[in-house]
Amino acid sequence: MQQFLDTLSATVPLEGYLVVGAITFAIGAWGALIRRNAVVVFMCIELMINAVNLSLVAFADYLPNAGGAGVGYAVLVIAVAAGEVAVGLAIVLAVFRTRRTVNVDEVNLMKG
Amino acid sequence: MIVAFAFLASMTLLSALGVVLSRSVVHSALFMSASFLGVAGFFVMLNAPALAAFQVLIYVGAVTVLVLFGIMFTQRPQVQSFRTIINRQIWPGFFVAIGVGTFLAYVVSIQDWSGTEPGNGPQGPGPLGEILLGVNGAPEIFQLLFEVISVLLLVAIIAAIVISRRKSAEGGTDRGVEE
Repeated sequence: MQQFLDTLSATVPLEGYLVVGAITFAIGAWGALIRRNAVVVFMCIELMINAVNLSLVAFADYLPNAGGAGVGYAVLVIAVAAGEVAVGLAIVLAVFRTRRTVNVDEVNLMKG
Repeated sequence: MIVAFAFLASMTLLSALGVVLSRSVVHSALFMSASFLGVAGFFVMLNAPALAAFQVLIYVGAVTVLVLFGIMFTQRPQVQSFRTIINRQIWPGFFVAIGVGTFLAYVVSIQDWSGTEPGNGPQGPGPLGEILLGVNGAPEIFQLLFEVISVLLLVAIIAAIVISRRKSAEGGTDRGVEE
């Protein structure tokens, strides 16, 4: 019983966080590849950015010589992602005004 | 720790699957905010509570609301059939994602991570601010990156306004938001 409780309260190794980040990144990549709605594609890109953030913070907390720099990079990544989603949704809105659709496989304005 | 980790991991991964496979766009957005909340819990476990607060404020608050506004402007929220939300690349995309996921998981698993232990990161808002400003032993590149990010956010705001504003039909002058 005591051994079971010790197992429950043990610290998670670094691989656990990294594998969760990798699987989340893969799920986000899958969604960005298969979905037709541009807004959902943006959501999947946000998922991938969050997976990378999780890996950065895990490295910053676990590696002894990193000095915690990964948390600073994670803040910068959050700022870039916020700017990206603002500009991306503005583009989706502009495309919807002219084409009346947001499906990425029906927007062929730049097709030669 | 193991219990919290298992709970947060299942929450994050199942919500991420819900984003991809949900047939309603609004449900996808709500699943996305649940996944962000799971990642915020991971940040708390990793001794970065200030970053968890940023995550909740920016992602769960701002980005989800922005995406919901985008949904509200561009489509009617209705449940669509599974055929119409997925393009024809579902199985090639699935195999590519499986390949990417197994490759990344394999690479991070074969590495020898002995000698790493938690508790090395900045523990509170003060050390995090020192890292962001590049002072007190932090990498000095952050001084440059901080300024670049500030300019980038300004450019993003102006670009979002310019792209999404409605132009008049002729004359080329912008009229602002709505007539």
